[in-house]
Amino acid sequence: MRPLRRDRPHQSAPPHVMKRLARPSRHKLFAHLLRAGGLLLVAGALTTLRPAPPRVVLGPPHTVQTVSPTVCVHTRLTDEVDEWKIQRTLHMVREMGAATIVEFFPWPYVERERGSYDWAHADRIMRHAENQGLTVIARLGLVPAWARPPVREKVTTLTYLPAERFGDFARYVGAFVARYGDRLGGVIIWNEPNLSHEWGDRSPDPAAYTELLRLSYQAAHAANPAIAVFGGALAPTNEPEGSGSGMHEVRFLERMYQAGAAPYFDALAAHTYGFTHTPADPPDPQTINFRRVELLRAVMVRYGDGAKPITITESGWSDDPRWTRAVRPGQRIAYTLEALDLVTAWPWADHLCLWQFRQPSDFHNRRDAYYALVSSDFFARPIYEAVQAYALGWENPYAP
Amino acid sequence: MNRWTARIRSLVGGDDRRARWRFWLALAALLVIVAGGVAWRLTRPGARFGPQDGTWRRVQINGDLYVGLDPSYPPFAEWTPEQIVGIEADLAREIGRRLGVETQILIMGYDSLYDALYTGKVDMLIAGLHPDATLTDWVYYSQPYFDAGQVLVSPRDAPVSAMRALDGQTIAVEMASSGDAAARRWARRLHALTIERHLLPQDALRSAEEGRAAAALVDAISARLYLPAHPGLVMAAEMTVAEPYVIAMRRGDFRLTAHVEQALQAIRADGSLDEIIAHWLLQAG
Repeated sequence: MRPLRRDRPHQSAPPHVMKRLARPSRHKLFAHLLRAGGLLLVAGALTTLRPAPPRVVLGPPHTVQTVSPTVCVHTRLTDEVDEWKIQRTLHMVREMGAATIVEFFPWPYVERERGSYDWAHADRIMRHAENQGLTVIARLGLVPAWARPPVREKVTTLTYLPAERFGDFARYVGAFVARYGDRLGGVIIWNEPNLSHEWGDRSPDPAAYTELLRLSYQAAHAANPAIAVFGGALAPTNEPEGSGSGMHEVRFLERMYQAGAAPYFDALAAHTYGFTHTPADPPDPQTINFRRVELLRAVMVRYGDGAKPITITESGWSDDPRWTRAVRPGQRIAYTLEALDLVTAWPWADHLCLWQFRQPSDFHNRRDAYYALVSSDFFARPIYEAVQAYALGWENPYAP
Repeated sequence: MNRWTARIRSLVGGDDRRARWRFWLALAALLVIVAGGVAWRLTRPGARFGPQDGTWRRVQINGDLYVGLDPSYPPFAEWTPEQIVGIEADLAREIGRRLGVETQILIMGYDSLYDALYTGKVDMLIAGLHPDATLTDWVYYSQPYFDAGQVLVSPRDAPVSAMRALDGQTIAVEMASSGDAAARRWARRLHALTIERHLLPQDALRSAEEGRAAAALVDAISARLYLPAHPGLVMAAEMTVAEPYVIAMRRGDFRLTAHVEQALQAIRADGSLDEIIAHWLLQAG
């Protein structure tokens, strides 16, 4: 029988050859190292691969179908990073039948360095809004670091605008209107200046705000004479005279007129919230309810400014089950639709912009999450369907 | 035995180099597996060389347990001039008592709760939280201590325990609630289901009580607040739509989570949890 290979005696090769054969060849070792290196390189390259960002295609331009031009929503696209989410948001706004949105364009996001404008994000929002056929009312505010005192001198908040920088803000307003003027429904100068935390943690100052409004109005109209400049965006508050937290909005508006604000705004922006009250509750200077906005209207009439419209740029009811100032979801729907009816009937009001359509993340802002019409993952809540039915003239799916 | 010894000897000292290599390789593999097993045992959480639960250690040494609460949600948590009261406050104190430590309640806004847990300001949160799948990489959620979901309430003489029993009948719901959404889903599954919508859950419950609807589907809190004064109604044992409230802790605090789970189980088993809930719901009602 032929012996197995391992039992066969060694062939008679010279010892130095046998020794060399027993050692791995240097070439082979090099080849192995080369392969291992190649594999490492491929693995390294694979770890750097990321999925391509979703492509966003504008598509053909749309128009908004609606039977109620009063319906408007405040969107929250300022901090929305993904372009497809901006598009999806505005698409849902259009499908809901709202022809107008209010959106915030913070000054520090655009002019991070003095005189150098970065319009990329604003362009993105405006491009998609135009594609969906929406009119944008732009809320302008906040202050870049370069326009505030250095931190070593004074610690300030993002809403602290020193008087000597009013001209810089007005310049931003002018630049914004020059860029988007034809596509805008108007610009709101500042937000809730009658609250101290919106006025750089200082006592609200109607005269100073009037000066800011005057400079902004002139800059906006110099850029586009047809632009509508909204003054105010006043918040409802019952703060007493001399309070460090805020000033009653009626008192603030009166003092604006006394400071000569009348020629410097084309419409008044106002915020009005219902909390637990029905929209029909009568206006009361000591109760924050929906019809309290009528008190502002009375001031305008008293100062001979009754021809100007009021645009309600923030309003709504919350259905947060944890909040004592919220209502049940069904009440929220009923009150919102009733409020839309009221505003449609008021000849002096043009829009009711609901706070808010959707926010990028619901995680750290529960209060606003329950004001939203759509969850951050685009789930349309019942209030969305009810407002949609109202705006499109359909039967209310949530009628009792 | 001798046969194996001889075999091993032949493998170790034999002339066959391949067999020798195979033997040593197998032995090395075996050693690696054994070493891996030993290392795994020794480095498991809580083992000699594994990660330790510093929170549990601190709780034991200092004898205090920090619980985060949002006191804006009566009857679960409410801020009175004297102290924080409610179901969640009592539950927090009871857990502390069962663990043999003193509960320190820290109040904070709802949006700050998870930040406080993440930064170690508190050891746990009892604040009507629902399990959030996006946080489970670092948050451990306990078994529920309450279910605030949608539950069927029906007349005691004609009880309805499940939605499928409502075929051909009328159900009363709170408009735009998750009960309303559930009723719509069931209307598609059943042959016929009439949905009666009400602005408030109390109105839906009244409809069931007065016989206009066979049952009402409302949230468990509203149902439990309504029922004591209306003994003609009965609540189904099982939720139709679950919305559990759970305790949140850091996943890394493995000993604390285990002890809290045990305490919660004991509190539930001896009826203390039901007593706490019934007490505060009765007061709120």
